[in-house]
Amino acid sequence: MNARIKDLIITNFLAIMAGIILSGVVLIFLGVNPVAVFGEALKTMLADKYTFGDVFLKATPLIFTALAFAFTFKANLFNIGAQGQFYMGAIVAAAVSLKLDGVLPNFLLLIIVCILTLIAGGIIGGLIGYLKSRYNANEFLVSMMSTYVVLALMNYLLRTFLKEAKGEYPQTDALTRAAWIPTLLSGTRLHMGFILAVVVAAGVWILLYKTSLGYRIRAVGSNTLASEMSGINSKKVYITAFFMSGALAGLAGFTEVNGVQHMLIQDFNTGIGSAGLGIAILANANPIGIIFAAILFGALNVMGNLMGRMPGVNIPSSIIELMQGFVMIFVIISYFVRFYLENRREKRKIKKVVAQ
Amino acid sequence: MMNMPFFELQNISKYFAKVVANKDISFTINRGEVLALLGENGAGKSTIMKILYGLYKADEGHIFMEGKEQRIVCPKDAMELGISMIQQHFALVPAHTVTENIILGNVHGKIDYKKCEKEVGQLAKVYGFDIPVKAKVSELDIGVQQKVEILKSLYLNARLLIMDEPTAVLTPQESDKLMEFVKNFTAKGNSVIFITHKLKEVMEVADRIIVMRNGRVCGDVKVKDTDETKLSRLMIGKDLIQPEKSSQEKTEAAAVCLSVKEVTLQHKGETPLLKNISFNVYHGEIFGIAGVSGNGQEELCEVICGALKTNHGTISLNGKDITRENTRDRIAEGIGYVPVDRHRDGLIMNMTLAENMMLKSSFDKRWIRNGLINKKKLNEYTKQAIENYKIKAPGPDVEAKGLSGGNQQKVILAREVDNGKELLVLNQPTRGLDLGAIHNIHTVILKERLKGKSILLISTELSEIFRLCDRIAVMYKGSFMGIYRSKELNTEKIGLLMAGYSDEKEAASQ
Repeated sequence: MNARIKDLIITNFLAIMAGIILSGVVLIFLGVNPVAVFGEALKTMLADKYTFGDVFLKATPLIFTALAFAFTFKANLFNIGAQGQFYMGAIVAAAVSLKLDGVLPNFLLLIIVCILTLIAGGIIGGLIGYLKSRYNANEFLVSMMSTYVVLALMNYLLRTFLKEAKGEYPQTDALTRAAWIPTLLSGTRLHMGFILAVVVAAGVWILLYKTSLGYRIRAVGSNTLASEMSGINSKKVYITAFFMSGALAGLAGFTEVNGVQHMLIQDFNTGIGSAGLGIAILANANPIGIIFAAILFGALNVMGNLMGRMPGVNIPSSIIELMQGFVMIFVIISYFVRFYLENRREKRKIKKVVAQ
Repeated sequence: MMNMPFFELQNISKYFAKVVANKDISFTINRGEVLALLGENGAGKSTIMKILYGLYKADEGHIFMEGKEQRIVCPKDAMELGISMIQQHFALVPAHTVTENIILGNVHGKIDYKKCEKEVGQLAKVYGFDIPVKAKVSELDIGVQQKVEILKSLYLNARLLIMDEPTAVLTPQESDKLMEFVKNFTAKGNSVIFITHKLKEVMEVADRIIVMRNGRVCGDVKVKDTDETKLSRLMIGKDLIQPEKSSQEKTEAAAVCLSVKEVTLQHKGETPLLKNISFNVYHGEIFGIAGVSGNGQEELCEVICGALKTNHGTISLNGKDITRENTRDRIAEGIGYVPVDRHRDGLIMNMTLAENMMLKSSFDKRWIRNGLINKKKLNEYTKQAIENYKIKAPGPDVEAKGLSGGNQQKVILAREVDNGKELLVLNQPTRGLDLGAIHNIHTVILKERLKGKSILLISTELSEIFRLCDRIAVMYKGSFMGIYRSKELNTEKIGLLMAGYSDEKEAASQ
């Protein structure tokens, strides 16, 4: 147990460092001193209130998509389609908000939109779970491809029913303030959605570890055969877990549309599904750990942005994605390294027992 | 050259994380010999053969061919040495034709199908196989598919053929034909290794027998120097002790608890796993099922517990037909089940003891308070079980994998005894345990019998069967060889029944 936590901390730390160092090497090739630039970006991020608020703002949707991945991961399933479920939530959030804008008071409207996005994402997720349990379809592939289906649907709607009144760009009209999620910290863009994300993460933790439903999800994930032998219907668990996973990803659509963009734009936040996957693995699928890992990724994102805009040095803004990509690759590698270490430890233990 | 063994394995060990699969395995294979590798399920037979075939890498030890050390790291290396293995599950491409399957991996560039088909056809003729070379594999029977597998090995000029449980999927007639081929093949100076746990088959076809138990070799004997009782003793590990009459009073007039009628289980196109099985278990009775493991015992348990659905027949509990009920309902009716593979079917190793104790009753309202799991009550319940069953564990919050095998088994037993209010199905409940734990578990079983529960006890330990059971059925190849009162049987008779001989005359004539 102790050795496992030690592995987790060390490998993750090394993975993040390796990602940052490798992006530093890329900066050297561009003729930029990485240490100076990283230092400058870190200083600005911590000193400037608006930028500091952005760290948590960026972390908010990542918490949701990471929870989405973690939730099915506990049932030994892979939901790679958080991006699509997020878009579905975003479509519903924008459509419903525009419809009810000014009709309902702000608070009531937000609650209704929140619940509907949750259901919208959940239906996409539940469908994947249904295909898995009914036809034994590979949930990995189905969930991955579902993203493109939802993306196509979104593009279609943005050119037709949801197209802005001006009719210029594939985007919706802007929501009026009556549909905005209230700001959390004045002088920043940070909104109450971050609190919602933290509360939901805590809720997911309680659901997984304190209720009998969560118990059954974990049981099926750890040992499907023993669970079925114990009267647990694993197929039902698949559908439930996928519905909830999709619902969590859908919520990210709510906070992004009503909290940040205040409209639906084509091709926005393209990377949060895959980033969520990396965050969940970084946090070992622990809902509370996900909050912190998402904040770390939020910080990386903000720092990358700052570096791209830094006066005097010529850093392409794509360095953000590069840095995140490197960190993610190493984090995912570290997961397999941990698996290998654990296996080796067990093997050594048994060799010792046999030798006696 | 002639005195030198064809292949020799020296001190081979293989460790998987958490299990020792093979430890210090050494034996030889001679030319022209049929070697049987005998042992119960999980004794490590398949593992050692997969090492020889290059599918697994040994952690320790050496392999020699005709005195020269060889490094076999993948099946291709093995094939070059003339070793070929036929797995339990065939490695054929169903959508391809017989010829395509056989030449797979051994042709380059443009394929001259006519020539290949002719080659394959001739090869089949040499060994007397009747195989349509142009037919698709998916259209063939299992028995013919196996011939295609064998032909594939022959096409590669295999001189050592390893067959993993080859008769498991065959009818008796097909088995006979296979045995004929084996004799024919070895007469030409080739060798065959048979992996099996069926004593009868071994006596029929093998020249020499390696007996394995718990990952080690525990016997290397010539067939002519041994008999089935000696072999089963080697295989099971303990001397078969004289029957002990169960000291409890008989419960004659009790009501029927479990009733199994004409139950048959068969996967499409395969030999049946259970054949027309009927029996009753009364309240307050221990009904034993003896037999070499792998003869359908596990399937019978799962059919009773609801994990497998029967093709034919009915199962009823206390007069109520439960054939169509699912596992969850049957648990609620009061059936407890201790599975043979506790790691796979009984426990969730990375969950705590308390969580494992509620596995069977996860739908039960008694664990829920205000929508959450009542941790305090569950912990109390687990502590009680730890105390009552003398489980050596620091507390309800330790993970199941931290316990020894015997204590893990006690956790399952505690849970199932409490859940199985009417019927307890125990599949080899003392397998792999030390004497203290065995005694403990036997005491519990007898106590539950006195309470009036019905107990179905499956065991490969004859001593256990004789010590505990009121009535005994012997299982062989998915059917009952008969149901006897405990007194009517002795070690010799039950041994013959276990080997598939229905009476002594038949055995004598063999």
